[in-house]
Amino acid sequence: MEKNFILAGFGGQGILLAGTILANAFMLDDKNVTWYPCYGAEMRGGTVNCEIVVSDNEVSSVHKQDTDYALVLNQQSFDKFVQRVKSGGTIIANSTLVAESHPRNDIKYVFAPMGEMANELGTSKVTNVVSLGVLASVCDIVNKASLALGIEKVLGEKKKDLLPLNIKALNMYD
Amino acid sequence: MKNNEKVLIKGNYAIAQAAINAGCQCYFGYPMTPQTEIGEYLSSKMPELGRGFVCAESELAAINMVIGAVSTGVKAMTTSSSCAVALMQEALSYACGDEVPVVLVNVMRAGPGLGYIYPAQGDYNQSVYGGGNGDYKIIVLAPSTVQECVNYTYRAFYLAQKYRNPVILLADGLLGQMMEPASFGENPYPEVDVSSWALTGAKGREGRAIYSCAPDEKKQIQHIYNLFRKFEVIAENETSYDEFEVEDADIILTAFGSMTRNIKAAMKVLREKGIKAGCFRPITLSPFPSKRINELAKQGKDFVVVEMNMGQMLKDVEYSVKGQSKVSLINRPCGEWLSVEEIVSSVEKMVEVSYAAGI
Repeated sequence: MEKNFILAGFGGQGILLAGTILANAFMLDDKNVTWYPCYGAEMRGGTVNCEIVVSDNEVSSVHKQDTDYALVLNQQSFDKFVQRVKSGGTIIANSTLVAESHPRNDIKYVFAPMGEMANELGTSKVTNVVSLGVLASVCDIVNKASLALGIEKVLGEKKKDLLPLNIKALNMYD
Repeated sequence: MKNNEKVLIKGNYAIAQAAINAGCQCYFGYPMTPQTEIGEYLSSKMPELGRGFVCAESELAAINMVIGAVSTGVKAMTTSSSCAVALMQEALSYACGDEVPVVLVNVMRAGPGLGYIYPAQGDYNQSVYGGGNGDYKIIVLAPSTVQECVNYTYRAFYLAQKYRNPVILLADGLLGQMMEPASFGENPYPEVDVSSWALTGAKGREGRAIYSCAPDEKKQIQHIYNLFRKFEVIAENETSYDEFEVEDADIILTAFGSMTRNIKAAMKVLREKGIKAGCFRPITLSPFPSKRINELAKQGKDFVVVEMNMGQMLKDVEYSVKGQSKVSLINRPCGEWLSVEEIVSSVEKMVEVSYAAGI
């Protein structure tokens, strides 16, 4: 089994962090995993993405032409990556910022108002973690409990006080 | 981080932490994408450990500072990327002539000139053949995973001191920027005794000097012969490579660094399609595993070199094969790594052409 995930959105939406949490979760599940970012000048405002590859065996290429899952938090990322989803694959979009549309017939679509769900918790900053909860609900190999441990690992001791909020965000979608 | 617990870590940070574990006492460097995280990491860790960190005024200064530091017998390194490593070539020639254990990490980006920050493998020639003057050789190690970034950083510090020769760890932007689980363990190599040559102050003993200038012609000639005898010993002891399913292979995919992952995956796909493919991957680019490649070529196995440059390692493979079998190239100059699918379809086309020509 080898699956890959592209996570994409605006710089500042916490895409790379969401990817790091996801990759940590896979590591905690004893899977082989790689995380590869687009790197360069995209800090705030530009589009940013990262690719996570998870495998039972050695991960082959860390940056692939197409993807099994695309998790997109803004319109530009939807428009770009909907074309890169494998036939039979899934795109999961933040409908707070992405207009619902179905430009292809051979892939699955999941739309969830991730931004609004985060706002219900009082801050749009956790949109990325809400999106991981949505991903876990639609993708068998992503385990919510492992994601929670991944969040704990990424937050570390210094930001431990943010854990309860993030766990709530992870469980917003069911 | 000194245990067997796996951590999800960037290649750049892994190199930095491994350097700390290896006992690197001084770091000198200058920021440059895609390796800046190494300096960033060490800028906080080294002072905490009471070790040296200098953000130098240039890469040229940084590597010369390393020469100064390692001359005293301590472990030290600098890190940079392609076009700034170009600046360091003079110092590498000096370090080799001086016989001092410089460790240099090059996280490659695209060239020539300033190029850009995308990953590439265009510094094979720069590392293996170098741009410095005179007869000299560098030991070059090429990791393909984040775990190997750790392992080969340990090895780089050890080999540098063991042979009193500069070592380059040749990574690329993809490896530097990606995260992967890795464990650090303990540095597996013993400490090397440097007491016979290190400049530690002449109190109680005769003074020493380290220099690469010999006005006496005979001495200079002898020095170069000695260096090359040393390189022969290095080649004998340290040449290393990985090979996969080469025994029954008709065609051997060959790559270095992080492209290794892609050729291994391509090999599996090709085998499923009935093409007997194998993989060969030099770990030391210098010394290059020519002997083993020649043995495989003599068995009639063709080689396909896959690299992110215009065909640099290709020349070493051709030299090693010595006309015993066919050598081809699959390449792209820089940027998005050749995908498994692209490698597979290129090899399939090659096989079809060979079949049609009755070869």
